[in-house]
Amino acid sequence: MQALINDKLTQIKLLTINSSMKKSLFIFLFGIFSTITAVAQETVVKGSVTEAISFEPIPSVTVTVEGTVLSVETDENGEFQFLEQVPLGEQVLHISKSGYISKRYPIVVNQGQTVNITDMTLTKDVSEADLFTITLTDDELDSDDSGLDNISGLLQSSQDVFQRTAAFEFSSSFFKVRGLDSENGSVLINGIEMNKLYDGRPQWSDWGGLNDVLRNQELTTGLQPSSYNFGGVLGTTNMIVRASQYREGGRVTYSSSNRSYTNRVMASYASGLLDGGWAFTFMAGRRWGNEGYQDSTLYDANSFFASVEKVINEKHSLNFTSIYTPNRRGKSSPNTQEVYDLKGIRYNEYWGWLDGEKKNSRIKEVEEPILMLNHYWDINSKTSLNTNVGYQFGKIGNSRLDYAGGANPSPAYYQNLPSYFLADADGPDYAGAYLAEQEFINNGQIDWERILDANLTNNIPVNGEEPGAYVLYEDRSDDTQFTVNSIFNTEINENILVNAAVTYKNLKSENFGEILDLLGSTVGYLNVDSFDGYQYDNQNPDRLLGEGDKFRYNYNILSDVISGYAQAQFKYNKIDFYVSGSLTSTTYQREGLWEHSAYPGNESLGKGEKLNFTGIGAKGGFTYKITGKHLIDVNAGYITKAPTIRNTFSNSRENNSIVDNITEEKITSADISYIFRSPIVKAKLTGFYSKIEDANEIAFYYADGITGTIQQYNETSAFVQEVLYGVDKKHIGGELGLEAQVTPTIKLKGVASVGQYTYDNNPNLYLTSSSFDRTRTFKSNLKDYKVAGGPQQAYSVGFEYRDPDYWWFGATANFFSNTYVDVSPITRTENFYQDSDGLPFNDYNEDIARELLKQEEFDDYMVVNLTGGKSWKIGDYYIGFFASVNNLLDEVYKTGGFEQGRSANYQQLLEDNSNPKRRFGPKYWYGRGTTYFLNVNFRF
Amino acid sequence: MKTNKFLKIVLGLMVTFAIVSCVQDDDYSVPSSMGNEENTALNNLLATGTEVSMAELKQMYLTEPDPGDNAAVLIETNIYVKGYVSSSDKTGNFFKEFFIQDSPSNPTIAIKVILNEVDTYNQFNFGREVYVSLKDLYVGEERIENGVITIGGGTETDQYGTTVTSLGTIQTNSHVFRSTVTEEIVPLNLTFSQINASHVGLFVQVDNAEFADNLIGKRYFDPSQDFDTKRTLQSCEGFSYSTFQLETSSFASFRDELLPVKNGSIAAVVNKTYDGSGLVLALNTTDDVMFNNDRCTPLDINDFTVVAEEDFETAVNNTNLDFPGWTNFAEAGGWVWREKTFSGNGYTEFSTYNSGDAVNIAWLVTPGIDMSGLENVFVNFEAAQHHLDSPDNTLEIFVSTDFDGSDVLGATWEPVSANLPSQANSWYEFVDSGLIDISAYSGTVYVAFKVTGSGTDTTLDGAYQIDNYKVLAN
Repeated sequence: MQALINDKLTQIKLLTINSSMKKSLFIFLFGIFSTITAVAQETVVKGSVTEAISFEPIPSVTVTVEGTVLSVETDENGEFQFLEQVPLGEQVLHISKSGYISKRYPIVVNQGQTVNITDMTLTKDVSEADLFTITLTDDELDSDDSGLDNISGLLQSSQDVFQRTAAFEFSSSFFKVRGLDSENGSVLINGIEMNKLYDGRPQWSDWGGLNDVLRNQELTTGLQPSSYNFGGVLGTTNMIVRASQYREGGRVTYSSSNRSYTNRVMASYASGLLDGGWAFTFMAGRRWGNEGYQDSTLYDANSFFASVEKVINEKHSLNFTSIYTPNRRGKSSPNTQEVYDLKGIRYNEYWGWLDGEKKNSRIKEVEEPILMLNHYWDINSKTSLNTNVGYQFGKIGNSRLDYAGGANPSPAYYQNLPSYFLADADGPDYAGAYLAEQEFINNGQIDWERILDANLTNNIPVNGEEPGAYVLYEDRSDDTQFTVNSIFNTEINENILVNAAVTYKNLKSENFGEILDLLGSTVGYLNVDSFDGYQYDNQNPDRLLGEGDKFRYNYNILSDVISGYAQAQFKYNKIDFYVSGSLTSTTYQREGLWEHSAYPGNESLGKGEKLNFTGIGAKGGFTYKITGKHLIDVNAGYITKAPTIRNTFSNSRENNSIVDNITEEKITSADISYIFRSPIVKAKLTGFYSKIEDANEIAFYYADGITGTIQQYNETSAFVQEVLYGVDKKHIGGELGLEAQVTPTIKLKGVASVGQYTYDNNPNLYLTSSSFDRTRTFKSNLKDYKVAGGPQQAYSVGFEYRDPDYWWFGATANFFSNTYVDVSPITRTENFYQDSDGLPFNDYNEDIARELLKQEEFDDYMVVNLTGGKSWKIGDYYIGFFASVNNLLDEVYKTGGFEQGRSANYQQLLEDNSNPKRRFGPKYWYGRGTTYFLNVNFRF
Repeated sequence: MKTNKFLKIVLGLMVTFAIVSCVQDDDYSVPSSMGNEENTALNNLLATGTEVSMAELKQMYLTEPDPGDNAAVLIETNIYVKGYVSSSDKTGNFFKEFFIQDSPSNPTIAIKVILNEVDTYNQFNFGREVYVSLKDLYVGEERIENGVITIGGGTETDQYGTTVTSLGTIQTNSHVFRSTVTEEIVPLNLTFSQINASHVGLFVQVDNAEFADNLIGKRYFDPSQDFDTKRTLQSCEGFSYSTFQLETSSFASFRDELLPVKNGSIAAVVNKTYDGSGLVLALNTTDDVMFNNDRCTPLDINDFTVVAEEDFETAVNNTNLDFPGWTNFAEAGGWVWREKTFSGNGYTEFSTYNSGDAVNIAWLVTPGIDMSGLENVFVNFEAAQHHLDSPDNTLEIFVSTDFDGSDVLGATWEPVSANLPSQANSWYEFVDSGLIDISAYSGTVYVAFKVTGSGTDTTLDGAYQIDNYKVLAN
């Protein structure tokens, strides 16, 4: 077995070359000349690293000479050799790799001699805590309508203390690195980008629960160059799932938690490279639970993974991977403060009792298998070409209740709450408020029986049956995406590395509503807009739908993306630098399969305008090594990119309309870091600046008080699409990461992120609705409002104690501040103070208005987290135990929230604010109270 | 291999977990226990409570112990009222309210229930048998003096009095019960002129109705109005229309539908305007507007021809009437109708003044009208009185189809209504009878003028005069 592993694989070694062909390619690509030198070696420092117990060689171990910039990685045989001159005398080699406990070896280097250290070993870091923690990517809290988003999945594999803290300590607060969304980071599996074209974000649940097989990750952060793609402003994570890259062995894991799932069982097995060049890796897992921290947030996820690789010969290898992770999650609701005050922070309005069971009406179901075929071709020892074909299909469904013929089933509907009665036009109705409060406290959940009863009542044929009053349906997005790319890497010489790739993506996204359950109706459900009476499918008017029928909307989005990038990385003694460029052509087209009667003919039916976007990217940066201890890192880039599909079509469910003045989004980003590395202390201080221009944001809500805009219809409330375009945002701030190994067993950590993320202009806003077509375009005075989404300041301090006896313990205290509510742009337009005649309201008072429109800042809070673990070796087996407690002090805190679009003008907002309790106050998310996570695993 | 065996065990365990550890499934079938609670509550009510009629219930408000204080009345005894839902808020034309009427067909009375619930139609569906447990509820009005007696869950007092307010959700669940029965509601057939306040809440049908001429092209709701729009309905009655108002809420889903142009039947709930000042019809659904016939046209006198007439110009003053074809008959007393002239106008008169008879009954029967080939046949005449002192001194008009030309008392006479002179009229003022529709009769029709008076009782010795008798047909 060992001999087989020692076979030459596709490892790029740092060797000197001088190839005129490569050079000309390089010049062709970049037009930059460079001096290429070959260095004669006199003194050699080399060696090998093996695993402490099995003595199997460990590849990709970073070996550095402490106090210098010299660093090499071990090859497939666990061997390394410094090609540059190692300073003479007593030196310390530092060897480290993710998943292993780092070690230091003192050596003596003498002129002209070879130092060969073959007995270095690394011990597996038995804690491996991070791989088993539930992070937000597991939770999938980023429900489609929440606007919340998390980036922890981008950072989990990082070695950097700042990024690890962001991923594991800050993520439950929806902290975003540099205030940027996950669409600014690329997630790749075997070189194929997995970010969705719909919103640019990775769909984490497409590979959730496969922790064991997703551990081989290559991460580049920020603008730093990735050898797979150009990447976004937040960097690129490539997960390598080649069967041959897994160490032989298996693992069984069981976990228990009260965060999202209750139980998790996982088993994985990798064959290693077998005779005949075959390698297999399998994994299966299940995560389930009836309830997470929030009420009735069920979790039902299975995960399957298989990867097969055939090493054809020294140059060619073929790998086939399939990933299938069907999962269902019960969603939880954001709520107003009034609701939280009555029902607590675990409250979820989406569920109700039915026949003794909790039934959640909003289930997110994701089932998007991924198949990929990868070809690895080592053209020669310095050049490789990796060609990948990926195919992903399946569905994403989000269920919800529709109530065309019944009362709003939401138990927290504003008319059910005490505030509604207290706001009675005739003065507070205390009796009604009391009754409503009691009812909400005692019941306050979806009344499934009433819903079923309504449909059964409508079935009664005596005086003529009626269509179902309620229905459970699912918003479906069935994407079929085909991706093919080729990634080229070559070393021009020991200093110069060139990467290039071309990618073609084709997406057909089928979007429709589908009836899941008629909820007792035998008549069917009418495919008509109950609010306005419009026909959703004008070719088949007044159609009664059954289960499995399409409902409400039915359209396709077709998209093609062709992109290419090329990059050169230069590494020298004192300075490393890179330049990178990319070009992307994106087309979108909507194809309406139904004619919406409010948008006759081609306004909604058939193919709409085909949109073309051209994105360019350019970036560059350098690391200047002042000494081995002090480094300066600078990166800058300018990227233009197509808006996401979500932000391109103003109302894609109903028509072919496109956002006004649609154009590419532009991002300018730069950062500068000072890095300090000593044997004890590692620190990095970064300042960053990002400016986003011409972004779009589309929101959907039910608006009251849109006076002055649609008064000709004598209507001031409607379900609207709010289109905000030409949005500029500015993100500036600084980051600090610090870790100190104060004793061999104790490590201290400190992290700070201080940012200011603001709107940088007054973008345009208009509303569209099937109720009134569209409004004129307003300016929304958002400049200097804070961009919502997590705390803009976060701090963490903590320590780790790591006992030589294979147990460890850690604690962190995390402080968060400057978290802001997401403001409603419509209330920052002229519409806010204009009456229907276009003049300001008679009672308009600018001071009061300023107070009303002040952006809410949430309270600062502190979360204390504990982790600990131990491992045992029994014969050839390892048993690991890990436990964590999050939010030990049970701190109650808001992680986010948004202003409701209702009460959109001055008079209504003032009226609502002057009530004893606000009816349409902002809706919030609260963080979890104290939670635990336990994990045991067994390895062989 | 050891590991393979191990793997098999693990995979086996995983599959077992996957099967056993099921979480919420997609089963939304109706639980067998559904409705039990309501049934139990209803049975309990029927076993322990006493039924009252809607009329009795309304009387509790109308004849309250302290009349005139305009206060809703709290029901303190365990009584209940039963009814059948006659209104529907399916289209939004009713809001947080429904009516129940006393019977699915031929109803006589209805009462309103107000509750803080929307879309009640999918619970208290049209035709559903509903029982309201009245203990701790109120009966009164939502607006003082609007005349719509209503069951409510609470009260509210202002300077005009104490009104009822809606039942809350909890009150509805504990006081308003459905049986499993839904009856077919047969609308009560009425004409517009027959609808009165006693019909409020009933589901009625009016035939031969249409919207007024000036509403063609209009919609049920007028967007320039805030809450409700009244649209005039009309139906042809003879030479003119009878009319009624249809009121539609701005929240009705059919608010923007065009008013149908044609004529036919409309079924709706009799209701009152917000302030109670007028009666209106309110639709449950526009399916109940069944206007499929051509619009009706009121009759136009110009379209008619005179098929028979007598202007009495050949009268010989102060002789017994002996015109050919006419029958002049004294049922009591000795006197009969007389021919008269005055100022050159001839007419006929019957007076009992100085007849000497205690009772005089005199018939004057026209010549027979042959109805064959005629439609829309109307009788018209003019009549006057003088010296009329009592409503008992009568002139009556009858129609017969079996009069043989001589035996007046042997024929069957049906009274018909006509506009006749009374004491309120001046003496000798000829009053038009209006058009007396005899189209419904066939064969040969005779019209009789019958005067009853006295020659001895001076309060009953007035005189009636008839002139310009015509039979019109088209």
